[in-house]
Amino acid sequence: MQKSLYITSNGRLRRHENTLYFEMGAEKKAIDIENVEQIHIFGEVDLNTKALNYISQYGIVLHFYNYYGFYAGSFLPRKKNVSGDVVVRQALHYLDREKRLFLAYCFVESAVYHMMRNLRERKEAEAYLIAIEDEWEKGRFNISSISELMGLEGRIRNIYYQSFNQFLPEDFSMEKREKRPPTNPINALISFGNSLIYSHTLSQIYQTQLDPSISFLHEPSEKRFSLSLDISEIFKPLIVDTVIFKLLNNHQLELEHFDEDLNYCYLNQEGKKIFLKEFQSKLETTVRHRQLNRNVSYKGFIRLECYKLIKHFIGDQVYSPLKAWW
Amino acid sequence: MFVIVTYDINEKRVNKVRKILKKYFTWVQNSVFEGEITYGKLEKCKRELLSVIEKDEDSVYFYEMDYKLVCNKKVLGQEKNYDSVII
Repeated sequence: MQKSLYITSNGRLRRHENTLYFEMGAEKKAIDIENVEQIHIFGEVDLNTKALNYISQYGIVLHFYNYYGFYAGSFLPRKKNVSGDVVVRQALHYLDREKRLFLAYCFVESAVYHMMRNLRERKEAEAYLIAIEDEWEKGRFNISSISELMGLEGRIRNIYYQSFNQFLPEDFSMEKREKRPPTNPINALISFGNSLIYSHTLSQIYQTQLDPSISFLHEPSEKRFSLSLDISEIFKPLIVDTVIFKLLNNHQLELEHFDEDLNYCYLNQEGKKIFLKEFQSKLETTVRHRQLNRNVSYKGFIRLECYKLIKHFIGDQVYSPLKAWW
Repeated sequence: MFVIVTYDINEKRVNKVRKILKKYFTWVQNSVFEGEITYGKLEKCKRELLSVIEKDEDSVYFYEMDYKLVCNKKVLGQEKNYDSVII
């Protein structure tokens, strides 16, 4: 499997001896460039066009995050998998109101399924699970527009986040979900995890013929790769939230791993490393796929969602979103 | 698959071989590399090496294992290089 690399230290990324080197002062580390698929840069890193040109030869995607761990942007090399046909058909599914609503509904359905899956085994959160189920069963049949669907999803997510207080350590209690900027540790964790999954999904979309800017649930606004947001919806509860639960309940992450400023909160470098390690091992965890009859990693499942979407667009097979069966 | 590569090459060509292996594996010790790699990439690497080495003088050994877990690595003394995806 091609690996993802995370750079949290400060230094210089440099092309040397036909491979990449990461230099931290006197210390040098060679990177086996052939096996790298994406590099996530959290530290202060210098790099020049010579390095960028070499990176793009291998189709490696660079993701940049700012000091606080928020996603800043990506460097996508010239795309090698392009198919005008798929893009045109993808756009057709956006233009047709019914077809767009179907896909948007699929994403939300899968997201809600995974949220409920997270709560299912927790006795403390039973009331919330029932509340989510009620809300979903009540709302799912009378959706006539994307904004209604978004509203329903928002309400469910509210209940879901409230339930966190029941089973997470008291230090990490949350009144409500706050973004831009997150004001307490748990919100900071969710934001950090979500930006990671967003960029990972973008890397996977980049490897397929899909156009990352044509989306269905989110408006394809001009400033973001919103298809990545759509697909991330499925994987946020499946990957990010489970990683957070594990790290907090096993006390691997404590309050000391967060820096708080006047009105915002973020993970410090040590905390980021702990989170990234767990996140990466989650992505590499494999599950036996029943139809493919082989082991597929969580990262592989993101790619499979992209392939399923392509099949849907070209009229091969109707899209049915991932619902974790294990 | 997990592969350990060791080599014994004439001084004239040793740097060329080292540079090729660097792209595919992680350096562990002098003349030793290791790392996870796909079958296709491994073949590509061998091709590249074949164009550089002299067959009747140099040798490169590949210890190929299907799974990394098969190989139990124990270190005595200094560990010269660590392999981690988080730098």
